[in-house]
Amino acid sequence: MGVILKYVVAGLLRYWLINLDYWQTIANRVEIATPLNSWKRLIEGVYLYDHNINPYEGDSFHESPIMLVFFYYIMKKVPFILPVLFTLLDLLTAHLLYKTSKAFIRILKESQEKQLAEVADESKPMLLDDAQLKESAEYVLSVYLFNPYSVLNCAGMTTTVIQNLLVATALWGASSGQRIVACVFIALATHQALYPVLLIVPIALILAEVNKGCTKCSYIRTLLVFVLSWGFLIYLSAYIMDGSYKYVYNTYGFILTVPDLKPNIGLFWYFFTEMFEHFRVLFVCAFQINALALYVVPLTLRFKKDPILLATVLIALSSIFRSYPCVGDVGFYLALLPMWKHLFTFMQQKFIVGCTFIITSALGPTVWHLWIYSGSANANFFFGVTLSFATAQIFLITDLLFAYIKREFTLKKGSSRQVDGKPAKLVLR
Amino acid sequence: MDFIRRFLSYCIFFTFFLCVRCDEFKEELFFKPLPSTHLYSYFQFVTLVDSEVSSFHSQLAPRSLAEVVSRFQVEELHLTLTEGQWRHHQWGYPVLDAAPGAELYAWFSPDVTDVDTQWKKLSATLSGLFCASLNFIDSFNTVTPQMALWPMGAVKSSQNVTSQLRYASLPREIVCTENLTPWKKLLPCESSRGFSALLNSRMIHNTNYHSVGVHVRKVCKSSDCLETQLEFKQTVALIYDYEIIKSNDWSFRKLFGQGLPGACPLSTDSKIYVDVTSNSTQPFTLSPPPDNIILSQRGRTDTKLAVYNIHPDGKMINIGVKHKTKSQIPVSIHPPLFFNRYVLGYGKEFGGIVTEITNNCLAPINVVVLENAPWWLPIQLSTLRVNGEAESKLVQSQYYSPGRSRQKPYHLELLIKLPPKSTTTITIDFEFVFLKWQEYPPDANHGFYIGSALISANLPTARNYTSLPITGTTFDSVINDTKLWYPIVFRTNGAMVSLPTPDFSMPYNVICLACTVVALAFGPLHNICTKELVLKPSGTSLSLTQKLLNLFKKKKD
Repeated sequence: MGVILKYVVAGLLRYWLINLDYWQTIANRVEIATPLNSWKRLIEGVYLYDHNINPYEGDSFHESPIMLVFFYYIMKKVPFILPVLFTLLDLLTAHLLYKTSKAFIRILKESQEKQLAEVADESKPMLLDDAQLKESAEYVLSVYLFNPYSVLNCAGMTTTVIQNLLVATALWGASSGQRIVACVFIALATHQALYPVLLIVPIALILAEVNKGCTKCSYIRTLLVFVLSWGFLIYLSAYIMDGSYKYVYNTYGFILTVPDLKPNIGLFWYFFTEMFEHFRVLFVCAFQINALALYVVPLTLRFKKDPILLATVLIALSSIFRSYPCVGDVGFYLALLPMWKHLFTFMQQKFIVGCTFIITSALGPTVWHLWIYSGSANANFFFGVTLSFATAQIFLITDLLFAYIKREFTLKKGSSRQVDGKPAKLVLR
Repeated sequence: MDFIRRFLSYCIFFTFFLCVRCDEFKEELFFKPLPSTHLYSYFQFVTLVDSEVSSFHSQLAPRSLAEVVSRFQVEELHLTLTEGQWRHHQWGYPVLDAAPGAELYAWFSPDVTDVDTQWKKLSATLSGLFCASLNFIDSFNTVTPQMALWPMGAVKSSQNVTSQLRYASLPREIVCTENLTPWKKLLPCESSRGFSALLNSRMIHNTNYHSVGVHVRKVCKSSDCLETQLEFKQTVALIYDYEIIKSNDWSFRKLFGQGLPGACPLSTDSKIYVDVTSNSTQPFTLSPPPDNIILSQRGRTDTKLAVYNIHPDGKMINIGVKHKTKSQIPVSIHPPLFFNRYVLGYGKEFGGIVTEITNNCLAPINVVVLENAPWWLPIQLSTLRVNGEAESKLVQSQYYSPGRSRQKPYHLELLIKLPPKSTTTITIDFEFVFLKWQEYPPDANHGFYIGSALISANLPTARNYTSLPITGTTFDSVINDTKLWYPIVFRTNGAMVSLPTPDFSMPYNVICLACTVVALAFGPLHNICTKELVLKPSGTSLSLTQKLLNLFKKKKD
C-alpha cells in the first residue's frame, strides 16, 4: 500500500511540474537539458523530419533515428499523451529499479552465504539480514521517485528519461537472468548515448552468475547478443535514414568530439573552451578514454566477485565523466546507492559530499543567473561550481569503494584494529 | 607599295573603328533630395565590352577585373562595400541596395562544376583587388539563395542559375579609403578626370551612408539578344546630411570639396541628373541652369529630372542648389514596402530575431525573405512564427537548410504573400552558442554582427523607386519606363548580439583545475585496484613536526 502511494505521489508531482507555467524554465536549464537530450532539440528534429528536411544535415539534433521516428509518431498521432508518457516512463524506471534492487539483494545474499566460511567470528553480526535487505530496495525506490534530480529530469522531459529506462530495464534483465532483454536494452541505451556500452561488462558477469553453468560460454553469448543487437540497431537507424550512415556524425560523433561547448554540469565544456587548438585532439582522446575505457578493466579485475558494485560504479563514473552529463544521470546512479546502505558506516566523507551536493545545487543556478542574465559574474564562477560538483561525486564514488574494501577486510579479519596488541590503522599498500 | 600602305592605313582605321564600336564608357551622376534633410548622390560608371572579343584587349574595361571574371568563369558578379544603414522607411529606395559591411554574390558559368572552390578563389582574389577582408568568405558564411536572387544579366533560359550562385556578406567589414583607391584605379580616367575626381575620400567617408560597388553582368547587344556584351558597372552611393554641411543649399564644393573638372575624355556620355520633383513643394534654383528638364512618367509616378551634359573641356563646373525659403522639412511619403529587423530577448542564453515587413499598397505583394543566420546563432525552425502562427497561410513556399557549427550557416527562405495595408511579423528563436576562446574576435564584448536579411519583391507601383530597369544600363532608361512590376532586392538592417564569453585570461588555470579533478578520481581508483588493505601499527601519537617529517620519510621507503 505504502509503495503504491509513493508511486502515485511521485507521478502526480512529475505531472504537476510538467504542466506548470515554469515548465519551459525547467526544460531549458543547463543543468537539466544538454544539447544531447533537450526537449527543444527533440522538437526541432521531429519538426525538420516532418518537413522532409534531414535533421542530421544540421547541427540541431543529436538523438538516434530510432528515437526520432518514435517521437515523430507520438507527436503526429497522440501529442497530448506526452506529459503522461514521460511521467509513466519515469515511474516504470523506478519500478524496474525497485525490482532490480530486490533481485540484486538476493544475489548479494547468496554470495554472502557462499563466503560465510571466510567470515571472522566477531564480524558475524555485521552480516546482512533479511530485514535490512528488504529495506534497501524500498530506499532505492524512494530515492528514485523523490530525488529532486530525477524529478526535475522528468519534469524537463529530457530524453535522459528514456535512457534511464533503457539502462534500468537492462539491469533488471540481467538480474533476472534474461540475456536477450538485458543485451537488447543495453544496446538500445548504447545506441542512444554511447556511454552505457561500459555496462556490458558487469551485465555479462551478472548474467553468468545468475544463470550458473559455464561462465565463459555465458560471457561469449552475452557479448555476441549485444554486438549483434547493437549492429542491428545501427543498421536499422541507417535504414530509417534511407541507408545513410551520416547520422553517426551527429550522434556518436557529437558525443565523442564535443563540438558544442554549452555549459553543463560536467567537466568538458570549459576545459575545451579554453583548450589550445593544437592540443584539442589529444585532450579529447584523453578525456574520452577516461570516460569510456580507462576504469573498466582494472575495476572488473578487482570487483569481479561483486558485479553489482561494478555496475553501480561504472554507471556513476561514466555519468561524471561523460561529455554532456545532466542531473538525470546523477539522479539515476544516486538511486542505486541505497543498495549499499550497509557500507555507509564505513564511509568517511558522507558529510562533506552531502554538503557539497546541496551547496553546488543551490549555487549553480545562482551563478548561472549572475553570469548570463545580470552580467555581474563570469564563466569562472559557474565553472567553479561544476568543478566542485564533479569533485563531490568523485569523492562519493571513491569513498564507496574504500568502504567496500574496508568492510571486506573487516569481515575477514574482524573489527579490531590492533597488531600484536598495539594500535594500528588500515592503509593501502 | 601604295596599295599596301593604303591597305595598312585601312586596317588601322578599321581596328580603331571596331574598338570604338566595341568599347563604351559612360559616367553618370544622380542627385535626389531625400525627406528630412538628406541628399542622395549616386555615381555610376559603366563600361561595355564585347564579351565575344576577349576583354583583355579592351581599352577601357579594367583589365584586372576582366581577368578575374574570365579566369573564374563568372557570369555575373556583385560586390558592395557599405558603411551605414539605408533607411528605407524614411528615404525611399536606393538605385542599388547594399548590405552593411561587405557583400558579394556571383553566378558562375554552367561549365563550372566545383562552384565552391571557384567561389573561394574568387573571393580571395577580389579580397586582394579591393583590399577588403573578403578572404574570410568560406563555406561557413556562404549560402545559395534559392528564390531571393535572380541574375540581372542575360542568361540562357534553359540554364539552371540557382546552383551556380553563391552569396556571402561580412557585416563587420569596415569600408575605408584603402578600398576606394583600388576601386578608382579600375576606371579608365582613374581619379584624375571625370566624375571620379569628385570622389575625395576625405569628404565621402564623412557621409551618413556610403556604398562602393562593382557589378559585372552580361547584357544583350541588340533586342534579339544573339550577342551579348559584358557590362562593368562601378557605383558609389552617398547620403549627405544637411546638418553636416550646415545648410540645405548644397553645391559640389560643399559636398566634395571641389568642383567638377569636366568629363572624362574617354567617356562617350557624361551626364548629371538632379531630381527636381520636390521643386514644386520646396522651391529652389539650380545654378548653373540645367541643359534641359525631362518629365518622366513611371507607373503613375511623375518625376522631373534636370539634365546636364558634361563635356571633356576641362572647365570647372560647380552645380549647386539654392532654396528660396529656409529650412522646410519635407514630409516623407511612405514607400510601398518597408521593414524593420531587431533581436528579442534578454540575457545571453536564448533570443529571437524579428523581421517586420509592412505592405503599404492596396494590392498584395509577394516577397521572398532570406534569413541568413551565422552558425554561431542557431535558429530553430520549429519556432518560426509568421504573425504568431506556426503554420501561416501567408507562407506560400519555404526553403530551409540547417546550419552546422563551424561549417555552414542557417539559411531560411520564405515566399510570403503580404496582404494589402498590413504588417507581417516573422519571428524565429535562436540559442546563443558558446565559442572556443580563440574563436572570439578581438574585443569579444563588442558584440557579434548578424548580417541583414534579403527581401526580394516585385513592387506593383514605382513610388520611391529609383532603380534602373533590368534591361537598361544608363539613367535614360528610367524615363517613361512603365512596367507591370518593379523588381527590387532589399537588405534589412543588420543586428548585433553579445555572445557569452569565457574568461580569456585563464586557459592554463582551467586546464590545470579540470585535469586535477580527473586525477582526483584516477588516483584513488588506481590505489583501490592495485593495492590491498593492511593493518599497520600506528605507534604512539606524534607531534605535528614529527608527522611532517614522516611525510618526507615515507617517500624514501
